Amino acid sequence: MAKSVGIIYLGLLEDPKKSLKHLSEVEKLGEEILVDRQEIVALDKRRNHNREALRALKNGAGSKTWMAVGSLLIKLPQEQASKALEKDQMHLDVEINKLRSNLKVKVNALQDMEHKDPIPGLTLQPMTHKEMRTIKSAMGISS
Amino acid sequence: MASVAAAKVQEVREITRIERIGAHSHIRGLGLDDSLEPRHVSQGMVGQLSARRAAGVVLEMIKEGKIAGRAILLAGQPGTGKTAIAMGIAQALGPDTPFTSMAGSEIYSLEFSKTEALTQAIRKSIGVRIKEETEIIEGEVVEIQVERPATGVGTKVGKLTLKTTEMETIYDLGNKMIESLMKEKVKAGDVITIDKATGKISRLGRSFTRARDYDATGPQTRFVQCPEGELQKRKEVVHTVTVHEVDVINSRTHGFLALFSGDTGEIKAEVREQINSKVAEWREEGKAEIVPGVLFIDEVHMLDIECFSFLNRALENEMAPVVIMATNRGITRIRGTNYKSPHGIPIDLLDRMIIVSTSPYQEKELKEILKIRCEEEDCEMTDDALTVLTRIALETSLRYAIQLITTASLVSRKRKSTEVDIDDVKRVYSLFLDENRSAQFLKEYQDEFMFNELEDESMEVSAG
Repeated sequence: MAKSVGIIYLGLLEDPKKSLKHLSEVEKLGEEILVDRQEIVALDKRRNHNREALRALKNGAGSKTWMAVGSLLIKLPQEQASKALEKDQMHLDVEINKLRSNLKVKVNALQDMEHKDPIPGLTLQPMTHKEMRTIKSAMGISS
Repeated sequence: MASVAAAKVQEVREITRIERIGAHSHIRGLGLDDSLEPRHVSQGMVGQLSARRAAGVVLEMIKEGKIAGRAILLAGQPGTGKTAIAMGIAQALGPDTPFTSMAGSEIYSLEFSKTEALTQAIRKSIGVRIKEETEIIEGEVVEIQVERPATGVGTKVGKLTLKTTEMETIYDLGNKMIESLMKEKVKAGDVITIDKATGKISRLGRSFTRARDYDATGPQTRFVQCPEGELQKRKEVVHTVTVHEVDVINSRTHGFLALFSGDTGEIKAEVREQINSKVAEWREEGKAEIVPGVLFIDEVHMLDIECFSFLNRALENEMAPVVIMATNRGITRIRGTNYKSPHGIPIDLLDRMIIVSTSPYQEKELKEILKIRCEEEDCEMTDDALTVLTRIALETSLRYAIQLITTASLVSRKRKSTEVDIDDVKRVYSLFLDENRSAQFLKEYQDEFMFNELEDESMEVSAG
């Protein structure tokens, strides 16, 4: 294992063009991962704002409401506004999940490019809650 | 009075746990460099270069999952580091790979049959990697507002403001959430997680930024960083459980206390079959991975012929772990038969094994080992004393010399010295006999011991 890594690096040093390409690929993938994580944070921020807005709409009185779309303020019927928000929420959930599962693939790809072992168990499907509860009780972990 | 008692309780709590020092507690790995070449002294390992190199190759194969279902035999004279090498392999594999260590004679017990004990040991060495996934909300509490109805009773409503380093949001709370927040005594400045599926709230600690809110804090207060990133996170935890643990969950009939008392009894073959098929199902669904671990059987010559044939068959199973055995016997009788065989192991099993041999340590190596043990046992020793101890190790045995380290350090402490000197070593050498001197003593005075001859004993019985 370790020896083969050494050989690869030696090869990279002999061919600077190839090594530059390899390094830029590693950097690019690393950058992508960071951007994705930032994206998830931004989406979650929007998701929480939408949730707060939906709450406010539900509690607030009146049949029409103001809604900011980008830099534009629009007066909408309340029903239409909450419908739009709910649609956005659904879209956000899907988007976040998609990013999260792609992130796993990317992280493992990066590990591979850096000649490290893949992170154990990263691509596993999760256990159901019920299965996890029995297993945890056996391992002596409460909750 | 009560305050005195309370102070005492506090004292008890502050005593740090004293780790027991075992014979091989100084071993941290195999002491190999990146290209698997053994360093002369590293990670507690000294000498045995070829055996360590071989173990390194085996280790790499185990890591890549290439030799599951095969066996390795560590053979060598007593005190040549067989157990040390096995421990080194265990340490180098890390905590994620199951490693079971047992002595050959452990299988003889009244509660289990021999094959049951072996099966349990084998199944303890097979790991199943599974993943738990929970959606949680994690953040620092900025503010909690609770509105009580004017009458005092009835449903409460409230608002909870949570933040991470990136964002902040407000949640409307229902009656149940308010109650569990109160039960957990959540205040502003606490970092909490809320499990989305169950609604369970747990307090992780207080945020560092709020550390100066109060001048006096209890000793239990734990300070944590304000969480980063998104509020609603997906937490994934990967666990490695052994197949034996899964067996135990399903075989017990009376609560889960059976696991903690360690008395699991025999597990029925049907249960094991069910577990095997369940694990296979999980694997197909992508929910589990098999992690073949390592089973180490020390003093393997203590197994008898039945166990050997059982092992032979068990090794062929598709989920079999890597079995490492160690023995210090030469050509000897196989237990349970009248046949002689190398290492006391049947030839057909021997044929499946990779044999790694260890050789006796040289004087220089003995000195290094004794030095490492001195450090491990927190004992300062002068160079002269170490040289004397090395000679003792060379003439008697390494184990005996290691025993003398702690005893000599106790003697030196008695004369209020911080260092062990030659005299201390000499004194314990005269106090405690080594194997040879003990045998010598017995030979000289055997007439004065009881039951030294069988004839005498039988005469006494008939007389009485």
